[in-house]
Amino acid sequence: METDQKPALGWSTAVKIAWRELRASRTKFLFVILSVAIGVASLTGVRGFSESFQKALLDQARSIMAADLSARMFRLTTQQENAKLDALSVAKGVERTSVTEMVSMASLQGDPVPLLVSLKVVDPVRYPFYGTVMLNPAGDLRSLLTDSTVVVDDNLLVRLRAKIGDTLKIGGQFFKIAAVIEKEPDRLTAGIGLGPRVMMTRAAVDRTGLLQQGSRATERYLFKLGPQSGKVGDIRGEIEKILPDAQIADFRETSPALSEGLDHATGLLSLICLVAMVLGAIGVAMAMRAHLQQRIDILAIMKSIGAKSSDILRIYLLQTLLLGVTGGLAGIACGVAVEWALPFFFGKLLPLQPPLRLPVRSVSAAFGTGILTTVLFCLPPLLDVRKIRPNIVLRRAVEGGDTDGKVVFWKRVVENKAQWISVVVIVLALAGIAAALADSMLVGKWFAAALCGLLVVILGLSAVTLRTLRAFLNKTRLHLHSALRHGLANLYRPGNQSAAVLAALGTGVMLILSVFLMQHAIVNRMNTDAATSAANIFLIDISQDEVQGVKDLMLRQPGVEKKFESIPIVSARITSIDGVSVDQLKVKNYPKRLLSSVSVTWADSIPEGVKVLQGKWWQKSDADGLAIVDHVARRLNLHPGSSVYFESGDKAIHTHVAAIYKAEGEHVFARSEFILPSRALHGLPNVWYAAVHVQPSQIPFMERALFAAYPTVTVINIADILSTVQSVVHQITLVIRFLAAFSILSGAIILASSVASTRFRRIREVVVLKTLGATRNRIAAVFSIEFIVLGLLAGMVGVIFANLLSRVLLHKMDVSYHPEFVVSGISVIATAVLAVVTGWVASFRILGQKPLEVLREE
Amino acid sequence: MIEVRGLKKSIRNGSRTVEILKGIDLSVPRGQFLAVMGASGSGKSTLLGLLAGLDAPTEGEVLVDGTEISQLSEDRLAQVRGKKIGFVFQSYQLIPTLTALENVLLPHELNANGDGKQRATLLLETVGLGDRLHHYPVQLSGGEQQRVALARAFVLEPLIVLADEPTGNLDSNNGQHVLDLLTARQREADTTLVLVTHDKQIADRADRRIFLRDGRIVSDENGRQVNYGD
Repeated sequence: METDQKPALGWSTAVKIAWRELRASRTKFLFVILSVAIGVASLTGVRGFSESFQKALLDQARSIMAADLSARMFRLTTQQENAKLDALSVAKGVERTSVTEMVSMASLQGDPVPLLVSLKVVDPVRYPFYGTVMLNPAGDLRSLLTDSTVVVDDNLLVRLRAKIGDTLKIGGQFFKIAAVIEKEPDRLTAGIGLGPRVMMTRAAVDRTGLLQQGSRATERYLFKLGPQSGKVGDIRGEIEKILPDAQIADFRETSPALSEGLDHATGLLSLICLVAMVLGAIGVAMAMRAHLQQRIDILAIMKSIGAKSSDILRIYLLQTLLLGVTGGLAGIACGVAVEWALPFFFGKLLPLQPPLRLPVRSVSAAFGTGILTTVLFCLPPLLDVRKIRPNIVLRRAVEGGDTDGKVVFWKRVVENKAQWISVVVIVLALAGIAAALADSMLVGKWFAAALCGLLVVILGLSAVTLRTLRAFLNKTRLHLHSALRHGLANLYRPGNQSAAVLAALGTGVMLILSVFLMQHAIVNRMNTDAATSAANIFLIDISQDEVQGVKDLMLRQPGVEKKFESIPIVSARITSIDGVSVDQLKVKNYPKRLLSSVSVTWADSIPEGVKVLQGKWWQKSDADGLAIVDHVARRLNLHPGSSVYFESGDKAIHTHVAAIYKAEGEHVFARSEFILPSRALHGLPNVWYAAVHVQPSQIPFMERALFAAYPTVTVINIADILSTVQSVVHQITLVIRFLAAFSILSGAIILASSVASTRFRRIREVVVLKTLGATRNRIAAVFSIEFIVLGLLAGMVGVIFANLLSRVLLHKMDVSYHPEFVVSGISVIATAVLAVVTGWVASFRILGQKPLEVLREE
Repeated sequence: MIEVRGLKKSIRNGSRTVEILKGIDLSVPRGQFLAVMGASGSGKSTLLGLLAGLDAPTEGEVLVDGTEISQLSEDRLAQVRGKKIGFVFQSYQLIPTLTALENVLLPHELNANGDGKQRATLLLETVGLGDRLHHYPVQLSGGEQQRVALARAFVLEPLIVLADEPTGNLDSNNGQHVLDLLTARQREADTTLVLVTHDKQIADRADRRIFLRDGRIVSDENGRQVNYGD
């Protein structure tokens, strides 16, 4: 016998059928299109936006250093080094400028009283690479800072009783005060000099003759990376090779609060994009399943007239592709709109720019990913087509079901072999997509693994929950109120797939709540790190006798927070490390000269703003111990147990490293790189540094009051830098909250499509109930009970897993987790409310259905 | 028991109006078994639906036990149906999530007070399903499901039972059994039974037979002859 292998349906017929069905059921497919669109939109616009948002944040972080990289040295670069740096500039497009900082004396013309000032020599054409020097009167640094002018700190005007326009004498030369510095972007990373800031040009300082070979000046070379420069870490490595004795830092180290916030935000933003995508894909699969269920009769007819399963699969695969393409295009439109529109909303607070052209690469990647996930997630319901028997056309089979649960389960596992294989393919593809999408590998890895594992566990738990409820129902059903019994029984409506709906909805709740819980924990942490009460004023050069008086005065001032951090600073030098004298010592990127003048302080317990990374803090004031800041420990190759010899005056101190720590820049302890027990420094001469938070508007008054009482104390104002950090943190939280709304939208669509999937059966049920005499209220009560119970169960499953997932992820991110009982409770109730509302929206017009129309279709 | 006066029903089909019933006058007294016959599309099921108030007529009146039902609100109609009318459908229309007993009990819970469990159980025993009380519809054969539907139709002892091809999905043995049960219950309770069928043998068991063609009654076995094509 000859067998004809040619498919019964050609491609063109398949396309025609697929297209006509799509056109006829536009409203029904809205859910599918919406689900795909949200996934694709999150990958294009939202992701694109979050990328440009992160870039803007990084620019803010760069402004705190005024550069991408800085190299601090105590000498000028040699010709050979310059040649290498020039070569780097040509090859990689790395720009550079130098900033010289030194101490000098200055006096007002006609006033012989000199003042110690902190000179900063810059090239106003290039400096700063990022951020702006804000001046008063407002103006450009290039035009105001000339070879015959200086710009100065307000503190200098206070101390010299000077005003803008007066002439300052520095190094025997006269310079006109052109403006007051209101904001110096790299103030936090520049060294704390003695005395108020005076900024001048290189030609100006050359004129003074202050900068000679061997002068005590610090050179900071600032570098700016170009588009072809590559990663900052790689360039840093090259500069470290060229300038081996320079202390090199990159913008990621400027503010630990900021860089940590950025890392967390990056992880969260990736997570939110992935969540929206996965939820969207689940929504597509559920809507497709519903569609195919309603098509069973038509599919049976097609089979009865000779269509093979492969022919039908072809039609619906094409339909899925058409839906994917339509949803994808809608998603791209929505995504691009988001990318263009958001800068207008957030742009006031952050310098975000809309993209100049369509980001073709990210758009096509999102489009491809959207279609891939749509087709993959639709595979399991599509494969069910093979099980439809043509004899449904003649008579809907009514078979006695297997009552043995185990038999049913194994029978289903064997029957659905292809579905299981497709699930494995989905999981693998999802893991791949997640890994490719996640900017943070940590989040990507955990997300893919956790989601796959959790989906299986949640599905199992959902099935167990429903079985338990059914067992309860079977025992109590005739004692329950009939509406309640009927509503609960509806959870087991044939084709309801309550376990799958419960799992999908539970997963949605879990993901959304996880985003919320993580966001909450991270935002709390960031807010603590960048608290508005963090110190924004540093006071230096306070003598031992003045400390108490300065403290009292400050705390009396209006606008000063009731918190005054102070540390004593003892000047010391390091003579040997691990038995090797400093002369013989080989150190990485650390000027040895720094070791001859280190600032040491004491603390007998862990000070505020200090986090121990390695080792343990000492318990007693006479203990043998040294705490050292992490970046210095790394460069000096110190670790707990290393021995260090200090000398201060004529006192030698031999100690061992007990702890390595990280310090928050906004705390005063960040001003010292070495901390010893108090006894070790007892009796040595010291000066004090202090930090306090003052309301920005009160700072000028505070400065004047302090100068009147303690004229030798220098004020360093970092209020503007702190406000930058706070503004960035605020932006991050705002954007995270905005993007989390996308996940919530996806969750609602899943629920709606899952309810819509049983619409056909619900209509029949409504009609039968109406013919039996049920009123609309009664029917509404029955369905509402079903939705509420489904919502409550899904809410509980989601809440449990959200807390578990957040706990694990937060632990990995080194952020502490606290159970949020109120939020969890609200989530369960909100899910139930959402389930009822969405359930009724998706069941729209069911109650008003004319019975005869439905019965006639039977 | 049922009075129908000048009943017309039209539906819009695209730009066209299709007249399904073109003027029906009918009176069915209490306890009568009326068979409604006719070809597909003759308007049988539409007539049955209008008698039950499942749809509103375009013109005319339907009186059930003296109440004009075509003007009633949806909920009021549901109450009238629940208390006075029982239904038997060709495709059984049991609620799949409820057991046999719960399905039979449902009209009682919706429309009556007190515990109907005893009566529901008794009825199921009468139709031979005393051992299948707690089975779900999916666990019952077609014949068994239709017997559950019969018990459900009679649980409140309605004045009228409307049956739309009740044996259409059953084999001849099961069909015969279901019909025997239906007529026995109808006579026992003196219920008015309106049964739509294609089957002449079933119709022969009725007290009266009417034939519909193109939306009109063309023959009434009580002797009143109507000219074809009128």
